Amino acid sequence: MEEEGEGAKPAQRQLVVWRGDQAPVQHDIPGPGDLRDDTKTGRLLIGSLMRAQLGLSLLCLMLALTVTVSFPLIAALVPSVGRMTVAGLPVTLIVLGVAFYPVFLAIGWFYHRQARQLEARFTDLVDPPARRPAGPMTRQPDDEAR
Amino acid sequence: MTGSAVGAIAFVTLLTIVVGARGIRVARTPDDFMVAARQVPPALNAAAISGEYLSAASFLGIAGLIVSQGLGSLWYSVGYTAGYLVLLLLVAAPLRRFGAYTIPDFADGRLESRGLRQVATALVLVIGWFYLLPQMKGAGITLQYVLGTPYWIGVVTLGVVVSVNIAMGGMKGITFVQCFQYWLKLCAIGIPALVLLIATGHDPGRNLQPGRAPVFTRATVIQVPQAIDFTLTRPTTATVSGLVDQRQYRGQAVPLCACRHIAGAGTQLGFAAGAPVPTSLAMAPSPGLSWDSPLSAAGTDGAHPLLATYGIIIATFFGAVGLPHILVRFYTNPDGEAARRTTLIVVLLLSTFYLFPTVLAVLARLHAPQLYLASDSDDVILALPSLLLPGLAGALLAALVAAGAFAAFLSTSSGLLVSVAGALSHDFMKGGVTSFRWCAVAAGAVATAASLLIGHFSLALLVGWAFAIAASSFCPLLVLGIWWRQLTRAGAAAGIVVGGGACLAAIVATMSGAATRGWGAVLLGQPAIWTVPLAFSVMIVTSLLTQRTLPGHVGQVMLRMHLPEALKSWP
Repeated sequence: MEEEGEGAKPAQRQLVVWRGDQAPVQHDIPGPGDLRDDTKTGRLLIGSLMRAQLGLSLLCLMLALTVTVSFPLIAALVPSVGRMTVAGLPVTLIVLGVAFYPVFLAIGWFYHRQARQLEARFTDLVDPPARRPAGPMTRQPDDEAR
Repeated sequence: MTGSAVGAIAFVTLLTIVVGARGIRVARTPDDFMVAARQVPPALNAAAISGEYLSAASFLGIAGLIVSQGLGSLWYSVGYTAGYLVLLLLVAAPLRRFGAYTIPDFADGRLESRGLRQVATALVLVIGWFYLLPQMKGAGITLQYVLGTPYWIGVVTLGVVVSVNIAMGGMKGITFVQCFQYWLKLCAIGIPALVLLIATGHDPGRNLQPGRAPVFTRATVIQVPQAIDFTLTRPTTATVSGLVDQRQYRGQAVPLCACRHIAGAGTQLGFAAGAPVPTSLAMAPSPGLSWDSPLSAAGTDGAHPLLATYGIIIATFFGAVGLPHILVRFYTNPDGEAARRTTLIVVLLLSTFYLFPTVLAVLARLHAPQLYLASDSDDVILALPSLLLPGLAGALLAALVAAGAFAAFLSTSSGLLVSVAGALSHDFMKGGVTSFRWCAVAAGAVATAASLLIGHFSLALLVGWAFAIAASSFCPLLVLGIWWRQLTRAGAAAGIVVGGGACLAAIVATMSGAATRGWGAVLLGQPAIWTVPLAFSVMIVTSLLTQRTLPGHVGQVMLRMHLPEALKSWP
């Protein structure tokens, strides 16, 4: 895409093969403008971000559901699992009362980090820091590190 | 006991009113809210969300259900927490970026339809009222336990306090009040749990052994407060003073068979150590499930427990997303990123809180088996401290628990009533402050009247049902609305009406006792297992059939929800 942008400069003498009232050719590099104006490129861009985000969310959701749903299933299929005790406490108490919570927190933390990185990468793709004008729009350098 | 508990409850109520009254203005428009709290830091906001979220069910209901039905009831606390994980994964950031203030606002803004907005508002009323019922019931039994007043007094007291407080304009927009409520509730359940745990010592006694009915760990004399039916798992001999099975005894040893008995009010029953624990009807476990089973048969009478457990999981995991009173709190996050951080902290705060009802329930099972003779499983946490720790210390802890419970009823029912009254006055009346006030009073009156009828359902079960309705209506609306371009008005409306309606019908059928065994009991008692997939399918299929009515601005709306803030700074 970058090369196309370079080639957009009109040559000195050239045969006109298309007229202005025909479909406009997008010479610009995709950028925030495409998103704002809801162009085809913009729609592709936001669509790719949404797909990536949804994929991440569904992955984490499946992980959480698999972990939780499998425990009662195992206990129903193999009743002896449900009757185990650990240090005198029923295994159900340990799993349902305590163990699931750190799992949820870990999944949530992982998702939070990944989602932020996805957004940072998307921002850099659409609006690369090199092309960004200095000023209030410029993000702080530690944004991604955080 | 009575004096300190009444004092503590009155203190919590007054404090809530006074702190809330500082926000006299009715903060109903987004702008009011923005002025009040647009830049709330995530930690504070998360505590406020948790404070509003932890209701009667979390405080009293779950522990009571664990004691009576078994450890499978822990799925409720697991699910109430996981609900926020699902919220984080699927809706938190986009919803904040969208900037909707209520769910009807979201429906209206995403799909541009007044009609859909009114459907959503109607559902807000259904879920809000349904969720208010257990709060009122909680207040009823708490005052009944503490003061010995009839059930309706507590219900009416909470109804009046909350309605009047909200009609006067207090309680809302004040993130600080709800934040305070979280820490109050955490202390009110955490301190008693830790103190009692230390006082009783670590002793995983016989009552935690798998597959055993509870027994008395030491010789115990029980005074029956009111006439009660009870059963025994095996025959035993008890020392009886008073009326048992219509015969009067004076301290005689009476052989009791493993069958049903009736004890009169004021009767004293003495049991030796190792004797089986008498169990009242309200505390009777589900047939066929041992106490330590990871399956729950709450609301379904022991039929198909695996399916019933999955019903609870689906309802609670996906219900939190669709609760009408929570969304508004996300509006006070500065941006989508902060909304995510807030939600993650909520998961942490809820995880911490839910450790303690479990501790109390296990202590009750271990050391206070006489609680199995209670007339309502939701009393258990209130009664436990004075049973395990006689004297002043126990009375103070009991007062703390009662105050925390009341804080739970107050905060959740206030949040709910504001949502219900706001929806009523904004979408069905002409709006404005006066209309909002009358709606608050009217909605409070309806909830109060209805809660007088639902006395015998467990708090956790009732709240679980409110979650099931939310999961079968608003959850698909929000999830598909955020992630799926092709959602149409007709699809959204059909999904909400069919899913929410089917779920509500199933629950009403269960409450009226339509099916008590077999498949019917499971499918009606834990309806989320089929109504959530139904709502999603109806919404998707109807949308695909009505693609021509796709709103024109969907591209812009999708951008607004999904674009990172860093890219939104164009002029």
